Amino acid sequence: MKGFVSHGDHAVAELDADERAVIARVVADVGLLLGDTSFGMEREELPAEGDEESLFRYLQGLEESLSDPDDPAVLRVLPNAAPDDREVAAEFRRLTEPELRATKVARLRKMWEALSLDGPQWEVAADEAMATAAALTDVRLVLASRLDIETDADATALHEEIDLAHHAVETGAAADLSVDPERVWLGMLYQALTWLQESLMAYVMRDDV
Amino acid sequence: MSTQHERTHDVAVATLTDDVWVTIVWNDPVNLMSYVTHVFQTYFGFTRAEAERRMREVHEKGKSVVSTGGREQMEVDVQAMHSYGLWATMQRSGQ
Repeated sequence: MKGFVSHGDHAVAELDADERAVIARVVADVGLLLGDTSFGMEREELPAEGDEESLFRYLQGLEESLSDPDDPAVLRVLPNAAPDDREVAAEFRRLTEPELRATKVARLRKMWEALSLDGPQWEVAADEAMATAAALTDVRLVLASRLDIETDADATALHEEIDLAHHAVETGAAADLSVDPERVWLGMLYQALTWLQESLMAYVMRDDV
Repeated sequence: MSTQHERTHDVAVATLTDDVWVTIVWNDPVNLMSYVTHVFQTYFGFTRAEAERRMREVHEKGKSVVSTGGREQMEVDVQAMHSYGLWATMQRSGQ
């Protein structure tokens, strides 16, 4: 994976086929959470348990939790606008939620389409860059909810946990440390998307003064 | 920049009518400092320095009041922040 670099009127990142497939899949999952429609063709069946070779095996828990309409991830993406005033909060939701959902789903779909093209390059036009960064934010908010990242300290702890898991796997001590492979895998996906968004923001802000 | 000046003017009028609302952006562990700065700069028309100051206030103090005005304008601002994935709320000023 290579982060976004400027090519003048567009930015380009490089992802291999597996990275593209995984990111496209999780983007479609968030789109489905917010919009109730699948992106692209019929979703293939989830891999059977024990299919160790499947690229998406650690997404299964996330996808199951997102199918629950009360999943807390929705509140991360569409938060309460007035926690101390039920009337104001309800009015805000009534007035804004359909449009917010439509905006977010449209951005996710556009990003999913770009990721679904063949080839290692992910091109984002300058005038699409902030929409892509916003879509990346929504995907990261959903992953953060699944990873129970609620404070800055939680985020720091996740990074340390992943470093430790890497070390444990390299030294063959993973079994001793009771490493949760789904959590580490989702955490690494979260880190990769964070890093991609950082590189995209460097492009977006290249001329900010 | 001009929008920012108009907003400040609206605040003065709204104060007289005793119905001033504020938009607050809260700290969260997901949003990037660069991204929040750019959103503040482009949406509210803050200078880079002012946008960074507000972003740091969110990050270090947990929240920042980013706009002030009538309830309808604050609904527009909170909706914009939510569209960017920022955690924003609105309330009456002084509440």
